[in-house]
Amino acid sequence: MMEGYALGVMANAGLLAFLALSAYVLAIAGEMSFGQQAFFALGAYAGGMATALAGLPIALALLAAAAAGALGAALLGLLTLRLRGLYFSMSTLAAAEAVRIMLERFTLRVDVGGRMVGPDGTAGFGDLRYLLERGLEQRGFVLLIYALLLAVLLLLYAADRARFGTRLRMVGQDPELAGAFGIDVYRTKLAAAALAGAIAALGGALYAHYNTYVEPANFDVMLGVHAVSYALIGGLGTPLGPLVGVCFDIVLMEGSRVFEGYRMIAFGALVALFLIVRPRGLLDERTVDRIGAALRRMAPARLIYRRKK
Amino acid sequence: MRTVAMVVAGGLAMAMGGAALGAPLQASLDCRPAGGGPVYDCLIRLADANGAPVTGASFTVNADMPSMPMAHNMRPVPAVPHGAPGVYQARLALAMYGAWRIKLNIARPAPDRIVLAHDFFDAP
Amino acid sequence: MLENLIDGLARGSCYALLAVGFSLVFGILRRINLAYGACVMLGVYAAIWLDRHYRFAAPWVVPVVVLVTVAAGVYVERLCLAPHARRAAVTSMAASFAVWMQLQEVATLLLPRHSYPFPELFTLPPLELGPVLLRPEQLLALACALVAAGTLWWLLYRTRFGLAVRAMTENGIGAACVGINIPRMASLILMLASALGGIAGCLIVSIDGQVTAMFAMWATLKGMIAAMLGGLDSLAGAVAGGLLLGGAEACSQSLFGPQYRDACSYLLLLAVLAACPAGLSVLWRGRGKALPAVGQ
Repeated sequence: MMEGYALGVMANAGLLAFLALSAYVLAIAGEMSFGQQAFFALGAYAGGMATALAGLPIALALLAAAAAGALGAALLGLLTLRLRGLYFSMSTLAAAEAVRIMLERFTLRVDVGGRMVGPDGTAGFGDLRYLLERGLEQRGFVLLIYALLLAVLLLLYAADRARFGTRLRMVGQDPELAGAFGIDVYRTKLAAAALAGAIAALGGALYAHYNTYVEPANFDVMLGVHAVSYALIGGLGTPLGPLVGVCFDIVLMEGSRVFEGYRMIAFGALVALFLIVRPRGLLDERTVDRIGAALRRMAPARLIYRRKK
Repeated sequence: MRTVAMVVAGGLAMAMGGAALGAPLQASLDCRPAGGGPVYDCLIRLADANGAPVTGASFTVNADMPSMPMAHNMRPVPAVPHGAPGVYQARLALAMYGAWRIKLNIARPAPDRIVLAHDFFDAP
Repeated sequence: MLENLIDGLARGSCYALLAVGFSLVFGILRRINLAYGACVMLGVYAAIWLDRHYRFAAPWVVPVVVLVTVAAGVYVERLCLAPHARRAAVTSMAASFAVWMQLQEVATLLLPRHSYPFPELFTLPPLELGPVLLRPEQLLALACALVAAGTLWWLLYRTRFGLAVRAMTENGIGAACVGINIPRMASLILMLASALGGIAGCLIVSIDGQVTAMFAMWATLKGMIAAMLGGLDSLAGAVAGGLLLGGAEACSQSLFGPQYRDACSYLLLLAVLAACPAGLSVLWRGRGKALPAVGQ
């Protein structure tokens, strides 16, 4: 696979978007999770093992990864969602690091066709040759990434319009009041956590197959904090927000290449200054409302924006 | 400078079109600083499973950091043959010092990918 | 085993100082400063850099570290904490993350290699107390933690400054009404927290003998974990949490070896939070008002 630069950037942006969306789902529910990288890791390993060890086709592998992510997130949520605020955030970070350290100890080498493949502790999990063996080019896989991303976006958009989304945002804004309305706050957050885990795991499985090699060091705290930052910078008003956050970040990163050697200094200053100007991110709830209202004014009332009762 | 070369690569592709069954490729890396910050001239030795050098290979090289995997989007650099058979050269301009994973994206003799680990630190 | 424990308590004292810094900023300002470890790292790196270029007597290293850390803290406060309204704690957290990246790059530009030795603070030989060898750095760490905790308690409960701080925590609007300059107090609190972080950085790096490029992440994580163990707005809790963390790490090192040290600290945090969701300080304070969530 000859790697093109632009396609590579697009692929990385798409994969990071899964992680950002995962953090976004929990952020709407009012919880900042620094641990979504753990489900990214779970998805990567589960998806990789499904194709490399069990020989499953990629569609099943991605499903298996998403299921593993949802299950893992639900189990973790049973412990962490009893905590509030910063305690929750730190416990997710601690749990994600614990998962990463456990992956460093995880070795499962299986003889497949005369070769030993499988996770090998700190040496990582390589030889994920599924795409190479099927001759799938980089362009094709980038299309797959974005197709799945679009599917996730549509799912989240639909969920936002449905009762689940309303409940989630109510819980995020004011849990006590939501409880007074009869919403089971804990169960709602648990469902959100499971959804977030599934999304992150899906991204992880795609990452593992794209990169053909993953190692536990890939899934450290930096990745988790970045995920939350993308969601916050992009704004929590719409599922497009985290995507915008990723693009913004990547544009800034590539743009600050001009400051060769001082890239992170420029980048950090730009992000901090941006947050002073737009503290709730680019596409926060208010901006999304305004854009929606502007669209409604521009088009005749019959044509656009049938709100489902 | 320490060289921690870890070959994480395996067999050859069994592409849908039925390409020839080949042996696993191996690679090793030897990098020297080229001056002016974290820029390195790297010599890559490509060999097949028996150790015989692979000539006429066509591949690009790029790098990623293990701890922040998708953030450093380095432009892939084509590797050029360099003297001895099976030896190729590529100049890597890294974003910073540290531990990197060097990826060889091979198009010829057959689509393949090799990931090598290498630490790039400033000379004391 | 005993030597490990003493080393653990000494490191725990450093963790306690870092935790107190976090607790001060969170308890009073309701902000999480993710750039805290990076400020300390910059202070340590600046001192090492100065030492490499202009050799000077060892004890001068400490004020340099503290000064640079405080300066970095002021920078963080101006850029990330002050501009955001009190309710936008989450935004200032994201901004402080960006500044963490910034400060870490400045530090690695000064000193690009992976690890650097820290100049020795003492030329005294280790003290022999029975079967145990005590290094002067460890004793200093223990002493510093106690002195700092005591001084802070005195500052908060026996001075007018402390009275103003406590008023700010109870009721921000009321405090402003009686003439307390809230922004200035916020700056002073952060400078105090940074100074404590600088001292902690000096101590931990002199115990270890060296500093690595991962220091910022490590210090931030250890400080936060220790602060959470004790309960985020309790000073006694922060000290207790730090010592507990240090002790637990030492025990796990003796029992399971050094590679599980970090895993043990994470598991300890999860276990303590599962049992006491608001940290250990509820054990002696009783269940007071719940800690507000980030952003409220």
